[in-house]
Amino acid sequence: MTKKQWLKICIFVVLFVWILMTVTYVLRMSGKTKDRFAGFYAEKKNTVDVVMIGSSPVYPCYAAPYIYGTTGISMYPLSSSMQLPSAGYYLVKETEKTQHPDLYVFELRMYSGRANDIVANPSHIREVTDNMKYSWNRIDTINTLVDDKDSRYTYYFDIFKFHSNWPNLLNPAQWRSWTGSAPEPLKGFDMASRVGPGEEPDVADVTETLPAEALQEMYLKKLLAYLQEENLNALFIVTPYNLDADKQKQFNYLEEIIASYGYDTLNMNEHLEEIGLDWSRDFQDGGGHTNAAGAQKVSQYFANYLQEHYDLTDHRGDAAYRSWDDAYALYQEQYDEALQDIARRVEEQDFSTSVNDD
Amino acid sequence: MVLTSFAFLIFFTIVFAVYYLVPGKLQWMVLLGASFVYVLFSEHPGLILFPLAAVTVTWGCLRLLEKVGTDQKKRRLVLWADILILLGILFVFKYSRFVQGQSGGLQMAAPLGLSFYTFILVGYFIDVYNGIAKAERNWGKVALYGMYFPLMTSGPIVSFREDENSFFTAHKLDYNNLTYGVQRILWGFFKELVISERLSKVAATVFGNNADYPGAYIWVGVLCFTLQLYTNFSGCMDIVLGVSECFGLRLPENFDTPFFAKSISEYWRRWHATLGVWMKDHVFYPLLRTNLFIQQGKWLRKKCGRKLGKNLNTWLAMFILWFSVGLWHGGDFKYVIGSGLLHWFYIVLGEATLPFFVMVCGKLHLNMQSKGMDLFRILRTFFLVNIGNTFFRADSTGHALEMLKEAFTVWNPGVLWDGSILELGMSLSDWMVVTISLIFVFITSVMQYRMAEKARANGEAYTYHALREKMAAKPIILRWTFWMVFLFVVILWGQYGPDFSAAEFIYAGF
Repeated sequence: MTKKQWLKICIFVVLFVWILMTVTYVLRMSGKTKDRFAGFYAEKKNTVDVVMIGSSPVYPCYAAPYIYGTTGISMYPLSSSMQLPSAGYYLVKETEKTQHPDLYVFELRMYSGRANDIVANPSHIREVTDNMKYSWNRIDTINTLVDDKDSRYTYYFDIFKFHSNWPNLLNPAQWRSWTGSAPEPLKGFDMASRVGPGEEPDVADVTETLPAEALQEMYLKKLLAYLQEENLNALFIVTPYNLDADKQKQFNYLEEIIASYGYDTLNMNEHLEEIGLDWSRDFQDGGGHTNAAGAQKVSQYFANYLQEHYDLTDHRGDAAYRSWDDAYALYQEQYDEALQDIARRVEEQDFSTSVNDD
Repeated sequence: MVLTSFAFLIFFTIVFAVYYLVPGKLQWMVLLGASFVYVLFSEHPGLILFPLAAVTVTWGCLRLLEKVGTDQKKRRLVLWADILILLGILFVFKYSRFVQGQSGGLQMAAPLGLSFYTFILVGYFIDVYNGIAKAERNWGKVALYGMYFPLMTSGPIVSFREDENSFFTAHKLDYNNLTYGVQRILWGFFKELVISERLSKVAATVFGNNADYPGAYIWVGVLCFTLQLYTNFSGCMDIVLGVSECFGLRLPENFDTPFFAKSISEYWRRWHATLGVWMKDHVFYPLLRTNLFIQQGKWLRKKCGRKLGKNLNTWLAMFILWFSVGLWHGGDFKYVIGSGLLHWFYIVLGEATLPFFVMVCGKLHLNMQSKGMDLFRILRTFFLVNIGNTFFRADSTGHALEMLKEAFTVWNPGVLWDGSILELGMSLSDWMVVTISLIFVFITSVMQYRMAEKARANGEAYTYHALREKMAAKPIILRWTFWMVFLFVVILWGQYGPDFSAAEFIYAGF
């Protein structure tokens, strides 16, 4: 073959790969997680102070716009439903490509979960891998998260999964994140107005420990070792929820491990009085995840905690953070509406038991 | 490893890279090694022993044939030894249940490509015996001939005397071979993944529940199956021939716009052509040359007259030929009838009644050479093929007859436009995709047919890639846009992925 023919083949292949990537980004499953990840990629370089990694407690319980609006701290939730603890390590690596946050926050709820329950549902894995941009880190993430080697190729090339969404190519909304990134107006926060009363837990006095699953412990240690090696600042938290004594013992156990690596923990279930949650109206699913009213209380407490314990810059008024100001304005508008809806639901006893109810 | 799987694409890419990295004289060994790996990665890797045994038997018999020299008696003994052993294995796996009933016989999986490699090796040995092919002394080369991996799925049934050189000569990486080969593979993927996989759902619904779907539903199901079978089998051939083209190998075509055939005989010259050629070369003509048929021919000519006697003798030989063709498809009467004897009946009936129709047409002043008559013949042939395919797809001969009875006796054409066909397994968007795709296949076929006819009229050789050559002559922007769009049509419209259970190629079961 001549050089010209080789060149033609190379150009065609490059063109094909570029179109394939774009089409895949467009066809990827639309939803809040896609928007959250695309929003994270759309953030200006080195503008996020705090990145919060974890599962479903993260995005409905911590109102990033509110934290910014009251403290000037920019925090972004890089989270997904039932996020596997093993994903944390790779999401830190993903973050470091564009952001160098002053603090990483890891939500610990999934570390007390049973590995098999999480891995059994591939959609929880896909929520992470199918929302990451194409990179070697994404391949490493898939290699760790997907046990079944024979099916990994469908994760590497997620067009295998999403090609049947082809009618969506005609939907302009799908093209918003055609590059894999698109600004997220509420900075990843999921404002919920569902109400599902829960029972307040009483675990503050539980001091015993109970080992977590060996696999979860292994991934936690891997993450801790990496954070230490890279000299990254981190905080491990437990978001308020109606946990039982055994779970609290597991968190105590995990806290000991974390402390042995020199990192701090904050179990908010031990500070429920200070947070001031009303368990009859501040949760959306019986005590598992807060609604907008509960999220503001948790966010308020957490924002104060960040201000007290970390030296984070107040970016309010900085032109580079205009999108954060816009996010706070939008948040306030939606928060007022959500409060009215919550009041109505409480009055009508229109309660939910799952985050999927509506 | 299904030819349309991601694993096969990776496998092919690796083999392709190694093939062109090694010195030319070692290229055939790369293909041989790849063929072993291909079989070892199949569902039953242990069954590789069977093709290896068939190759070894053929190779051994070739050596013996050389040793016995010109002693005709011994030569014939070696010939029959080779044929009986190879066909014996085929018989044990495919036909023991046919003879002993469905519950008897060998209840185990057949080796990959059993019918194909058996016919290739038997055909090769007979050619050597007849002195029209060279006896190969190298076991590896005989093995490659019998086990060349693209052929192990569904053929084509190549003839060693035609393809020997292209297999064992050195091939340089050639831009046209690569681009044409990849384009043809893509065309095969399009037929299989976009069209055939969708149509298979309708065929499965109708053939699986014919009591619920009588009349017009059955015609829809049968038509869908015929188109499914064509796009599946010819799509597989496109992949096989495209892969080979990338290696610089030109294998014989198996399809030549079969649905434009004006008669059943012509249809079989255009559909699975290599099987037809093999059967004619190794069953039909040798049969006519036997003493039995020569004597029988003489006797028939004497009793029935010169023309009818000759025809009767030929039809009797054709009966055995078509019985064999049907039997080749599987050890079941539905194949013997649907893909064999029914077609024999069509041909014999056509030939026997031809004078009558010529007379009728003459009286009605119908022009036998008109385009309208040609269209009528094409539609008639297509209809008859569909009847045969009903047997092919049905569970049994009885099932096929029951379906045909319901198809002819229940009158419900309204289901074709009242939305009822959307219950058959394909959504509205699926029907739209299939319709657009079939129109595209039809237009392409018309272009191929016309180019072939023109070439024949000019006494030139027609090659299947003439259409791709025509496309290659277009401006780069136009052809790149075409191929890129086509590539994404296959990627987006194809039926594959983690939520989809892909069917095997239908002829892979033979």
